[in-house]
Amino acid sequence: MFSTGSKYFFGITLFGALSFAVYMLLIDESAIGATALLGAVAATALLTTLVLSTRDGEAGEAGVAATEDTPTSSMWPLITAAGFVILLAGTITTTAVFLLGVVVLLASLFEWTVLGWSERASSDKAYNASLRKRLLHPIEFPVISAVGLGVIIVAFSRITLAISKDAGAIAFIVIGLAVLGAGVLFSLRPNLKRGIVIGISTVGALGIVSAGIAGAGAGVRDELAEARSEGHYTHQDCGAEKSKYFDKLPLEVVSSTASVIATVEIVNGKLTARAQGIPGDQESITIPRSNPSSVMFVNKDQEEHRLVANLGTKVISGDVKEDVVLCTQMIADGAEQVLILNIPKPSMAGKPYTLTVPGLAGQSIEVIVP
Amino acid sequence: MRRMLTVGVGLSTSLVLAGCATNAPQDTFQPKGPNAQMIDDLQKPVFAVAGIIGVIVTVAVLYAIYKFRDRGQPIPEQTHGKPALEITLTIIPALILTVVGVFTFRTVFDLAKTSDTEMIINVTGQQWWWEYDYPVQNEYGITQPIITSGQLVIPVGTKVMLRQTSRDVIHSYWIPALNGKRDAVPGRVHLNRIEADEPGIYAGQCTEFCGLSHANMRMEAVALSKADFAKWVAGQLKPYTPPAENTLAKEGEAVFVNQCARCHQVNGMKRADGTAIIAAPDESVVSGAAPNLSHLMSRNTFAGAMFDLLNTSCRKDVWDADSESFGAKYLQGVSEDCLNQSDLRGWLRNAPEMKPMYVNPELLSSTGGKYRGMPYLGLTESDIEKLVAYLLTLK
Repeated sequence: MFSTGSKYFFGITLFGALSFAVYMLLIDESAIGATALLGAVAATALLTTLVLSTRDGEAGEAGVAATEDTPTSSMWPLITAAGFVILLAGTITTTAVFLLGVVVLLASLFEWTVLGWSERASSDKAYNASLRKRLLHPIEFPVISAVGLGVIIVAFSRITLAISKDAGAIAFIVIGLAVLGAGVLFSLRPNLKRGIVIGISTVGALGIVSAGIAGAGAGVRDELAEARSEGHYTHQDCGAEKSKYFDKLPLEVVSSTASVIATVEIVNGKLTARAQGIPGDQESITIPRSNPSSVMFVNKDQEEHRLVANLGTKVISGDVKEDVVLCTQMIADGAEQVLILNIPKPSMAGKPYTLTVPGLAGQSIEVIVP
Repeated sequence: MRRMLTVGVGLSTSLVLAGCATNAPQDTFQPKGPNAQMIDDLQKPVFAVAGIIGVIVTVAVLYAIYKFRDRGQPIPEQTHGKPALEITLTIIPALILTVVGVFTFRTVFDLAKTSDTEMIINVTGQQWWWEYDYPVQNEYGITQPIITSGQLVIPVGTKVMLRQTSRDVIHSYWIPALNGKRDAVPGRVHLNRIEADEPGIYAGQCTEFCGLSHANMRMEAVALSKADFAKWVAGQLKPYTPPAENTLAKEGEAVFVNQCARCHQVNGMKRADGTAIIAAPDESVVSGAAPNLSHLMSRNTFAGAMFDLLNTSCRKDVWDADSESFGAKYLQGVSEDCLNQSDLRGWLRNAPEMKPMYVNPELLSSTGGKYRGMPYLGLTESDIEKLVAYLLTLK
């Protein structure tokens, strides 16, 4: 019943399973060890099954007549194995890796199945190959192109994030010119040898991918790393002074389709508010509790201003409280921005909620939350 | 065949007779205010024109089917092209549609008019109830914001602007007797004008599918005379009065603080140390809101207007009141004798059993453990007894 090879792999499978049990019960319960052992058990069990089903690969022993036709050499078994390993790695690392493993595994199994089917479609090998191409090329070419393009884009982005701004611009120009040059060359010389075209394209792609890997390894440039660690672009500076980072390149136009609950304007140093559907200027605006509500700020003053929403305090820990403040960027005359307020507590919860403009003393709009 | 004919005639007759129902509070053909009247003035003639054309076409088709039915006769001579007839049959519908279009556009623009608004009410929809908040409007005696739910109270003969929005999904606000429907969309404010001619209660229904209890998301507009509306406002602005010591209601207040105040706000309620009790529904409910229960017993409904707070006889007394006496009866609120004990106790006992809601703690992983609706609280009968006594004090 058992062939020589199958006994060997069966033994390893059994040993792996015992090791897994001992490991889980007596040694450790870590996911990494368990996954590694289970992976090994699954792999050897698969090999056991294969060896058993082919009687150690001896056709005569299996009772199948040997033929002169040998299967086409294929990369799909290798890729399937890689997919299985990635999937296993995903179970102990991240969901993204696991999903990548699933995709690779499914894709390779699909390709392998179609390949196997096409090889038996007829006795004409050339026809079988053309059948496979006709079926799979419409899928393979777009997918491979998209994946290839994605890799190049990601690699290039790693390069530009790692080097200085000026160097990034130069790299962009140089690489762009190189691609353009190669394209011009290929179009002017249509009879260029296929090997040369493939060689140039491969060297170019490998160069960008290698540089991208190197860039990813080096990390982002110091300026960006500092901005990320110090929250330059997420930390709001709501004071009267212009913030170096938060106020950089302020947005100045709000989409005409935006729905705003109220519009706050500063006109020649005077702060006014209008609520949608209510005629005339308002001293206060009412917004629903726990509901994101957009308030538009329009600066019609010669000076630059920002709108600040003072939304009470929140408890940090124990008796320690912190003011809750939101604000727009500092915007110039004629510009507008939206401030989205989502206030979970009613006005009665503490001191009044207000909208103010730093540097504009004595003027505020009350925000009432029923 | 005969049986099918009988069933068809029976169904058709039932449908036609259903149109004769007198107790149809959401009948679109019974306008009770100028906005709904405008819609009615448009839809009835259009319906008549469409009906006449429909009858003519149906009769013509049936006549042709009968007259030229297949009796084995030879196929008659086929003719193609009759320009005069074709042009006539194109121009007549175009003219009819143009006339209908002119009146429709005029009505649409008239309904959208907001410049002469007299009162503002903010309306916020969420699964599955409506919240109404009245911004400060001194001319109506509203010196502080008023917040309520389930029943929208308005003065008669007043152009009321509803500023509608939603906290979770799209809802649609429709009280057929007062105006057409208007969606309430998260992140947007839609304007909807209503006005009632006479005091009374006008029923409505959410008309945009919004989840499990969409069919139970109801609303009622209560129109009061201006004098009665002023009394209602005064009642809503009354400060909170804690129940007397050593009463069942006082014990109920303690149960409320422990079990209900986490989501439901009662304005003015304070802890023993004098600090205000502020509900935090945003921590427990997906929409971030739960009905404010201040002056609960001044309303006639609860749970998104699905249940009556008044028992059957008292409810009938209010709904059937003539316009003169309606206001006084409504303003009486809910007394102990009139309370619909059965539904209120059932709700407190197990709310999800009475109104379908997504509140199973084991199925809330997608919402971070937050409910859509009121969960089962596991209250004892004793707690329910105390709570009912306390809620009756919220007038």
